[in-house]
Amino acid sequence: MGSVPFATSDSDRLEGHKHLSTHMGVELDYQRIVRAAKKLKLGDSAPLMRLAILGDCSTQQLTVLVKGLLGEAGLRAEIYEGGFDAIELECCDPASALYRFEPDAIIILNSAQTLRMAYLQQPSEATAYVGDCLARIVRIWDAIQSNCRAAILQSTFAVTPDSYFGSFELKVPTSLRAITAALNANLVAVARERTGILLHDTEAVASWVGRRQFFDDRAWDLWKLPCSLEHLPRIAKCIVDVLLAFHGRVVKCVVLDLDNTLWGGVIGDDGLEGIELSMHGGGAGESFVRLQLYLRQLRKRGILLAVCSKNDEAVALLPFLQHPDMVLKRDDIAVFVANWEDKANGIQRIRAELNISLDSIVFLDDNVFERNLVRELLPEVIVPELPEDPSSVVKFLSELNLFETTSLSNEDLQRAKQYQTEAKRRESAARSTSVQEFLRSLDMQIVVSRFDAFHVPRIAQLMQRSNQFNLCTRRLGESECAALMCDESFIPLYATLADRFGDHGLISVVVLERQPEALMVRDWLMSCRVLARGVEQFLMNHVVAQAEQLGLKSVMGEYIPTAKNGMVRDFFQRFGFTHSSMHQNEWVLDVSSYQRQDTYLHLAQSGPSIHTPEDL
Amino acid sequence: MESNKSIVERMSRIFREVFDDPSINIRDDMTSADIEAWDSLTHIHLIFAMEKEFKIVFTIGEAGGSLKNVGELRALIMKKMGG
Repeated sequence: MGSVPFATSDSDRLEGHKHLSTHMGVELDYQRIVRAAKKLKLGDSAPLMRLAILGDCSTQQLTVLVKGLLGEAGLRAEIYEGGFDAIELECCDPASALYRFEPDAIIILNSAQTLRMAYLQQPSEATAYVGDCLARIVRIWDAIQSNCRAAILQSTFAVTPDSYFGSFELKVPTSLRAITAALNANLVAVARERTGILLHDTEAVASWVGRRQFFDDRAWDLWKLPCSLEHLPRIAKCIVDVLLAFHGRVVKCVVLDLDNTLWGGVIGDDGLEGIELSMHGGGAGESFVRLQLYLRQLRKRGILLAVCSKNDEAVALLPFLQHPDMVLKRDDIAVFVANWEDKANGIQRIRAELNISLDSIVFLDDNVFERNLVRELLPEVIVPELPEDPSSVVKFLSELNLFETTSLSNEDLQRAKQYQTEAKRRESAARSTSVQEFLRSLDMQIVVSRFDAFHVPRIAQLMQRSNQFNLCTRRLGESECAALMCDESFIPLYATLADRFGDHGLISVVVLERQPEALMVRDWLMSCRVLARGVEQFLMNHVVAQAEQLGLKSVMGEYIPTAKNGMVRDFFQRFGFTHSSMHQNEWVLDVSSYQRQDTYLHLAQSGPSIHTPEDL
Repeated sequence: MESNKSIVERMSRIFREVFDDPSINIRDDMTSADIEAWDSLTHIHLIFAMEKEFKIVFTIGEAGGSLKNVGELRALIMKKMGG
């Protein structure tokens, strides 16, 4: 990721898509991406995704584009391209080349044109048409999930521009437009209920571009292209955004400038009455209110907001505390930095307090100097080029699609609150005379349990997002986690933590494999929000006790270094593990020599999801 | 009206970009056999790139391959541009 060196305003757009781009800072132009893809050289250390692309339309161009865009995001891709219109054939055959390829994700592209042709060729007006189409797609999902653990990326159906009734179309339930809408609604409803199904919203892309521009019937009839070649890069970006989120590239925090970003004018000069921010006054004041509402919505879904402003703190806080039309309140801001230091410093401070990585931060500032400074000093931070016109900021940010995700968990919805209680904990820590006294005073309750269906979405999410405290960085998806649930040879554990200030939710995952002689740690990861609480010590006690109970002599584990997990380099050493004589990265602990760790955590005994050690 | 020379120059530029070969200079008698990278995939790209460059639209027949050589493509572009 990185900077997005362009601006888009409506006037630019009318001049012909000059400045459209993905958030990686590239133009969404077929020619450019294809050329860049050819020249791209990624080392073997770049993460590799194994992808299958299956379509009832031509997918050759799309394959090149997906590979190119992933490459620009620093990921290598090996792509299996299915035969033309062979989705069912390949998915329903357990011996197909598709499954031999062992993809991490299967991208399914169902085109509007194929749907249209099938619809128009029906002998009579079948009322069960939507149900039949849906059943066919669900059957394919079933087949995939019973044959492999790949995530499924299913397209929605774009609505074609042909009209048979005009506006009356939607009132006729058997019309093509009504059927497409119903099919999309049903598809989404089923996908919501199932794990491992992600959507890439082709219909949203088509609507954004405009159906008249998006569809090119000539290109369909000749080459089976699902849309004009000009707009194919948008379909590719839509898919790649989901893949990147699936890979763990998600934005966790938006850092905001204040003057001329959150409101019009300068609070220090114009004062409370002078800044532009108005729910009812019309004009730019409403644009700023709308931007704040947009940001508050992001906050509600779990993206943290922080402020980094060159101001005196008291002045900067004034609108948050006293302005009647201010949407964002002080409580909405996880970290508030207002001083006269440079903004790279401020962002570093925010990063450290929230314990997140720089590449999960988006920085919004109207000032080109500040943007360039942050790009220069902190190149990992995502710095969009904001449009000058405040009324177009929300549309602009939406187009960049910076906030793609693959899941929404209860933790997301609670996150902002969790960071507020974290602030209270910090205050309490400051009052305590020693760390031990503070930890004891927290009254921490931990639950350790085998994976269960209810927690699988959050487990998969944590596996995709944890970068720092993560020993092996295996990115298991929901279906893979669900499969572990009932696999007897594994002991897949999650832990939740609560204390007297609030609930941290599910914060750690440890997957153990039962081997003849040893208990093997396959995954060990933890949210950095709960560092230094004793969680890993408690869990190691638990793991060793498990090994003893199973009559195993040792616990083994592996540390796979990445660019981000240096903090757990000495993890095994700290618990008395020694280097395995057989493999360099492997560590071994003799169970009988383990020194039990002291912690201030209490194993919570209540709740239906708790398994006793016998269950494990 | 734009000169023949300038249109040939613009077409050559598109050919170079699409086939990723800076040495290409188009001639009227050129066909897909003369350019190694000219296959079904790059042909689609070429058609869209020409349309974008000259702000014209080919019919399905023209786009699909009724043109015999580059000379016919050039003549068609000039005709569509009102020449």
